[in-house]
Amino acid sequence: MKRLWLVFLFFAICAVPALAGAEETYTFDPGETEKKPYHVGGYVEFKPILYGLDRDSAFYKQRFFSDPRGQNLLEANGRIQLEGYFEKNIFRIYAKTNTDLKSSYSGESERSTFYELYASLKPLINLKFDVGKKTMKWGKGYAWNPVAFVDRPKDPDDPETALEGYILATADYIKSFEGPLKTISFTPVLFPVYDHVNDSFGNNYKLNVAGRLYFLLYDTDIDLMFMTGGSRTDRYGADFSRNITTNFEIHGELAYVQNFQKNVLDVNGNRYQVEGDAVSYVIGIRHLTTFDLTTIIEYYHNGMGFSGNDMKNYYAYITRGYNTYQTTGNATLLGNVQQMAEGSYGRANAMANYLYIRFSQKEPFDILYFTPSLTWMMNTDDQSWSLTPDLLYTGITNWEFRIRTGIIFGARNSDFGEKQNDYRIELRVGYYF
Amino acid sequence: MKKMLLIILLILSMACPVFALDGKALLEQVDRNLSPESYESYRKLINIEPSGAKKEFTLFTVKKGVDKVASLFIAPASEKGRSTLRVGDNMWLNIPNIGKPIRITSLQSVVGGVFNNADILQLDYTAEYDVEKVDEKGSEYLLYLKAKTKTVAYDKLKIWADKDKKLPTKIECLTEANMLIKTLYFKDVKDFGGGLVRPAVIETDSPLYKGYKSVMIFAKVKKKTFKDEVFTLTFMPNLESLR
Repeated sequence: MKRLWLVFLFFAICAVPALAGAEETYTFDPGETEKKPYHVGGYVEFKPILYGLDRDSAFYKQRFFSDPRGQNLLEANGRIQLEGYFEKNIFRIYAKTNTDLKSSYSGESERSTFYELYASLKPLINLKFDVGKKTMKWGKGYAWNPVAFVDRPKDPDDPETALEGYILATADYIKSFEGPLKTISFTPVLFPVYDHVNDSFGNNYKLNVAGRLYFLLYDTDIDLMFMTGGSRTDRYGADFSRNITTNFEIHGELAYVQNFQKNVLDVNGNRYQVEGDAVSYVIGIRHLTTFDLTTIIEYYHNGMGFSGNDMKNYYAYITRGYNTYQTTGNATLLGNVQQMAEGSYGRANAMANYLYIRFSQKEPFDILYFTPSLTWMMNTDDQSWSLTPDLLYTGITNWEFRIRTGIIFGARNSDFGEKQNDYRIELRVGYYF
Repeated sequence: MKKMLLIILLILSMACPVFALDGKALLEQVDRNLSPESYESYRKLINIEPSGAKKEFTLFTVKKGVDKVASLFIAPASEKGRSTLRVGDNMWLNIPNIGKPIRITSLQSVVGGVFNNADILQLDYTAEYDVEKVDEKGSEYLLYLKAKTKTVAYDKLKIWADKDKKLPTKIECLTEANMLIKTLYFKDVKDFGGGLVRPAVIETDSPLYKGYKSVMIFAKVKKKTFKDEVFTLTFMPNLESLR
């Protein structure tokens, strides 16, 4: 908790000059543009969250079976990110660290890691090599990226949050042309999975190979990608993005995964394995009106997702484990549940079909740097959904203020209906330096 | 009848000097006087609210030919590392946290305020507009421009340009229905070296943002050539290496 108070104190100290600086006159000293061979910066965030718990839901029972909570749960979160680089001639080293601090009913926790740490070599303007821990961020979708074969999955509830990378070696080669084909670039990736090296990714002791080929063809961004090597089954993907008009963009992704395997529970709670090829895709649009309302709509089909019956069996298994624990104190079944949640059942959007609609209005009522938005995500299989109103203000240089609320609607045994919370209110104060 | 024909011929011959004013050539000259065809520059954008509160952004910009321009935010810290790219009508924004470049539109603004993306990633006027008419107004030309395609941010422009310097003093940006979207005022003509003498300050206001003002200040503009590969999505995260 002390560390969180330190984060809070940091904000209080920084806020005073920031607010006072709003009245300064402007100048442009050419010295401001001088480049140094190094850079150090960062981001500090304070994020208290109030959860409204759904004490009848499956995920509540799974998490709080041995330590039941009241209607609400307050949690304080802090985040410190430091980033920097040093460059000399054609060499560059880049690092980004992330520290998450949490204070909640279960005590305090801290997790620090390098999100990225890699060395670059740039012998030519159109050729670059990177080795180290890096995020690749493949795909064109806003909320989902089924073709991001070499990245961690992003949180569709907060898709703009920075992600932790993987340890890999990659290169970029770019070639430009005149005519309808304007650009080709190729990005090969070597992706090792060994003890302490990406070992959470998949099967161990494998050197995986992936690649992406990008084209700008007839004003359309097109990517083709693949990954093979054994840590995960072979997969191939494609994506595109194009502006139909100046204010209307369409995008899509398609991923084909061979011999995909998933563990599923049957109605009696027995685990069995399903194997087969899976196709996942995202199709979406981004539209801007003359009055600055941006609309993002995406439809996501997760070919590796669970069916409604799979999830019902899983929820029933949790309830059985919970009831067993209540009557006998035996938590073995709930231990199995936890294991399965960490696998596939517990991930965000674990089912097959989702719709995502986001409206964000830039600077309404002439309030500069103020962006309210509303995000609606629906599981189209069981019609459960979440609604997230969000107010963002960035009017003070280097500061970000955000209030978000998440409200969840869904019947029992539905995707959103069995989430741990009925609602969530969070305040986020961030400072860049 | 012969007299009538002579009168018509006389009128036509007198009209010739006006027609001789080649609008396209004049606009090309205005473009070249504003910047070399390929260059690098440093700019500061300042958004000023009615309360007097200001927010500043510093950009490093590179341009090549008529349709390629890229910008990198170097300040403030919250924007540092963001980059924008324009190739013809295509525009992208790369935010390091999000990582992959996303397509943006010319009417949006990555900095908020009165300047939109088309203003920040400005191409040559001749690349996007045809000159419909040129009037002479005392010491200035008034050029009436019409967008070549529907994808251009403003359908019409009215450019007031100094006759001697062939530099704009004021530009009105209009919709197809002649509704004023914003006005750009070019001020503080300065020698940037290398023969480039141009306004160092562009101010803009808009009837759509009453009381708000945005200012663009140029600190350095230097003629420089770049490889085409610089103006690609894959290169966007590496723009810093050009500084």
